[in-house]
Amino acid sequence: MRSPLARRVRTFLAAVVLLAPTLVMTGGVQAQDQLVLRVGTDQKLETLNPWQSITYADYEMFTIQYELLVSFDINLDPAPGFADSWSSSADAMTHTFHIREGMQWSDGEPATCEDARYTYQFVLDVLASDDGYVGSGYLEPYLSSAGLESVTCDDAGNLIATTSYPTTLLTQAYIPILPEHIWSQYSQQQISDPAADGFFANEPVVVGSGPYHAVEWSPGEFIRMERNPNYWGTPGVPDQIVYQTFESEDTMDQALRTGELDYVRGTGANQFDAMQSEPNIRTAEGYANGYTYLSFNTRAKEQGYRGSTSALRDEAFRDALGYAIDRQTLVDRVLNGHGVAGTTHVPPYHVNWHVEPDHPRTFDIDEANRRLDAAGYPRGDDGRRIDADGKPIVLRLTWPDSEDHAADAQFIQGWFDQIGIGVDAFVTEEGALLELLPGPEYDTGYHADWDFYMWGWGGDPDPNSLLGLFTTDQIPAAINDCFYSDSRYDTLNTLQQQATDVAQRKEYIDEMQQLFYDAACYHVLYYDSELHAMRTDKFTGWTNQPPESGVPLFGFGYPAYMLLTDANATPTAGPPEATPTAGATQGPQPTATPTPTDTGGGIDSSVLLIGAIVVIIVVGGGFLLLQRRGRVEEEE
Amino acid sequence: MSLRYLARRLMTAAITVFLIVVLNFVLFRMMPGSPERILLGRTPNVSGEVIQATRERWGLDKPLFPDQFVAYLASTVQGDLGFSFGGGSRGRPVTDVLLQRLGPTLLLFGLGEVLAIILGLALGAYSGWRRGGILDHVGNGLSLVLYSTPYFLLGMGLLIVFATGLGWFPTFGISTVGQSYAGPLDQLGDMAWHLALPLATVALGLVGQYSILMRSSIVETLSEDYVTTARAKGLTEGRVLRSHALPNALLPTVTLIAINLGYVVAGAITVEVVFNWPGLGTLTVNALSSRDYPVLQGVFLLLSVGVVLANLIADLMYGFLDPRVRT
Repeated sequence: MRSPLARRVRTFLAAVVLLAPTLVMTGGVQAQDQLVLRVGTDQKLETLNPWQSITYADYEMFTIQYELLVSFDINLDPAPGFADSWSSSADAMTHTFHIREGMQWSDGEPATCEDARYTYQFVLDVLASDDGYVGSGYLEPYLSSAGLESVTCDDAGNLIATTSYPTTLLTQAYIPILPEHIWSQYSQQQISDPAADGFFANEPVVVGSGPYHAVEWSPGEFIRMERNPNYWGTPGVPDQIVYQTFESEDTMDQALRTGELDYVRGTGANQFDAMQSEPNIRTAEGYANGYTYLSFNTRAKEQGYRGSTSALRDEAFRDALGYAIDRQTLVDRVLNGHGVAGTTHVPPYHVNWHVEPDHPRTFDIDEANRRLDAAGYPRGDDGRRIDADGKPIVLRLTWPDSEDHAADAQFIQGWFDQIGIGVDAFVTEEGALLELLPGPEYDTGYHADWDFYMWGWGGDPDPNSLLGLFTTDQIPAAINDCFYSDSRYDTLNTLQQQATDVAQRKEYIDEMQQLFYDAACYHVLYYDSELHAMRTDKFTGWTNQPPESGVPLFGFGYPAYMLLTDANATPTAGPPEATPTAGATQGPQPTATPTPTDTGGGIDSSVLLIGAIVVIIVVGGGFLLLQRRGRVEEEE
Repeated sequence: MSLRYLARRLMTAAITVFLIVVLNFVLFRMMPGSPERILLGRTPNVSGEVIQATRERWGLDKPLFPDQFVAYLASTVQGDLGFSFGGGSRGRPVTDVLLQRLGPTLLLFGLGEVLAIILGLALGAYSGWRRGGILDHVGNGLSLVLYSTPYFLLGMGLLIVFATGLGWFPTFGISTVGQSYAGPLDQLGDMAWHLALPLATVALGLVGQYSILMRSSIVETLSEDYVTTARAKGLTEGRVLRSHALPNALLPTVTLIAINLGYVVAGAITVEVVFNWPGLGTLTVNALSSRDYPVLQGVFLLLSVGVVLANLIADLMYGFLDPRVRT
């Protein structure tokens, strides 16, 4: 008699053999009935609530769903957004924004000046509140730095904004205009605090005014967007956009190669180089709108401050160290050449504002040694330099564990060794580092217990936010982490915010860069490039923003999405809907209530759970049965 | 199985779980960085007053013992593990986040375990039974190689060959997001297609240890008197294997299976990251890189309780399989 066990094993093997090709075929015959733009990112998709945004990925999510009052075009110039035109009074203190007529939110409600007024007034209320910030606190400074005082709507549907000083910064304000009929239902705390009762996460389906809006969100995994049926401009070519987050860059890059992704942000330098020669893939290396820096504790050993040596307070000491850093080697060896050696704190991304310092510190060990000797730091018997207290100088160098700077640290260790400065390099958990950095002005219990460290900053289309990090009033906020304080710099910052003449503003900004560079509070190591890659066999028309030095996506506004074309479309095929051209106004449309569609890719987790439990029960039961059968046979 | 045996095992498990809950509280309060600094990050415009308000809002201004500890115990018992700090789930209840990720992990590792158990035990039993044969040499060698290969290496190899190279399977995810499906079968097929490579990785990664253990167990059993007796009774070789050698050789394997079930999340981390599988493994990595301590605390609790439960099941199974340990 054939044994039941053998029969079971045979059946199982047969099933596996039969199933394998079926699975392959199932995958092979998947029909792509909708044109889906699939974007992979190494940054997490943290939130759909714009006020909670921190990362570039967060910003991208709200940028494509909500119009800014004034948007950005492909050249990063101001472009029609929620307002289709704008002007300022002669004194540049009263600003009029004409809100596009006939706009609708994605749920069919009219989008009017009242929505813009509500959003800006919300920010003013937040700034006047006890907290003084909302969510991540990243968006309000766009309006506070512009000196916004009041917002009203006039009878013609214009938004009238007044500022406390002359400014052009309102056209740079990265504040999404939100639908009042949705957001006004929630208090500041419900919008700001994830732990608050009734926290508003802005779950899909999101009501927006941009070309796409989120219809599905699997936290920590993906966000799926569909076309906004009521978008005022020409619809984009992709029917849907799926943003997928990846823990592994390698997997993300492989997915681009197989065509499962159409665009990747944050690919590694080696993969980026390897992909340059691959068919149907285009790479884009853009200037980073930010920089990686080395920051010094310039108040070391002052009352209430720690730090290992008072030498850190000496500008001449820090200046000398700058000559012992070979920034170009860091770019070549650490970034595989994908970056630019750093100088000032306004990166070359801001082509109109970046300026090179008068006397840049070029790599020269002899010069560094000469300057240290001149500054009064002689070498001791063991070759280590001695500080004013007679102690050998050994600096602690650290960086947050969220970034990889081990290679930078090794190079710096080697160079500083040649000038008699010891370096003890180690990584610090980001939360712990944030605890170490602030001084006593931030709060009691903080002592700035560090020497120098590496991290990075990122900016906006306007350099204002990058410049504003180092004003004296940012020291108690723990943003100005090197404790740089210069009244001239503070004055210049106010002047540049209020300047309405571009040439005049540039003079102020040039001087700010020079002042900050000379103080040697930061040594900007490099401007690391943005490395993106995209497929060209599904979508064409990839356009960098700005064209000469940027990358297509994860920029400012959404112009590059709207320039995409279907690589496989027949010549006669056009956009799926008859629409007015971008910038034109559109009359009211029938109300469309968005509903979840059946095209979702998410698998119901309860089904999975049940499936998994069934599997375990079946297997467990099978074993028990086998056991029992064995015993019965034994007894027989 | 006596009630006393059952009660003793349940009591041990309950005490262990309580100690884990306590350790979970202590461990995450020893982490570097204060919670409010992690929550607020490098937020502009944050003053000392805001920090104080945040501390009060989250109950961090109260002493650790007894206030915070009692509040923590009460919440944990009620299934309230707090809110996620970030990592894509900011503001969501940790319990929801864990439940959302538990299904894919159980599916992947449940099926992986099943496949590995069936293949590993069959291969091990046959190798041991035919010791010295070709299959024994090949199977044992293969098992050793698979046993010693890290999951990520195995996974990346399969991915490069079968996904990037041959294009047979997808590289990531549990389904094709944004895909229209003709029906539930179509959707299930898409999921199975995505499951194939991660499942193969898990199964191949586990099969080696089951096979090796089963082989040595069988070899050991073959020298036992009862096997000689069974042969002397004139039973066929197959019957001796199935009815006498196998049941006794299974005992150590049950322990291994139980332990492996407890370590599902630990194993899940690398496989899930390689295939971007939306389970507890990617959640853990995500939470680690975001310093999402509440989620990490939840994962730790789930993992620990999983190990305790798996051990409890192993104990009970032992009691069932081996009458000598029932009392």
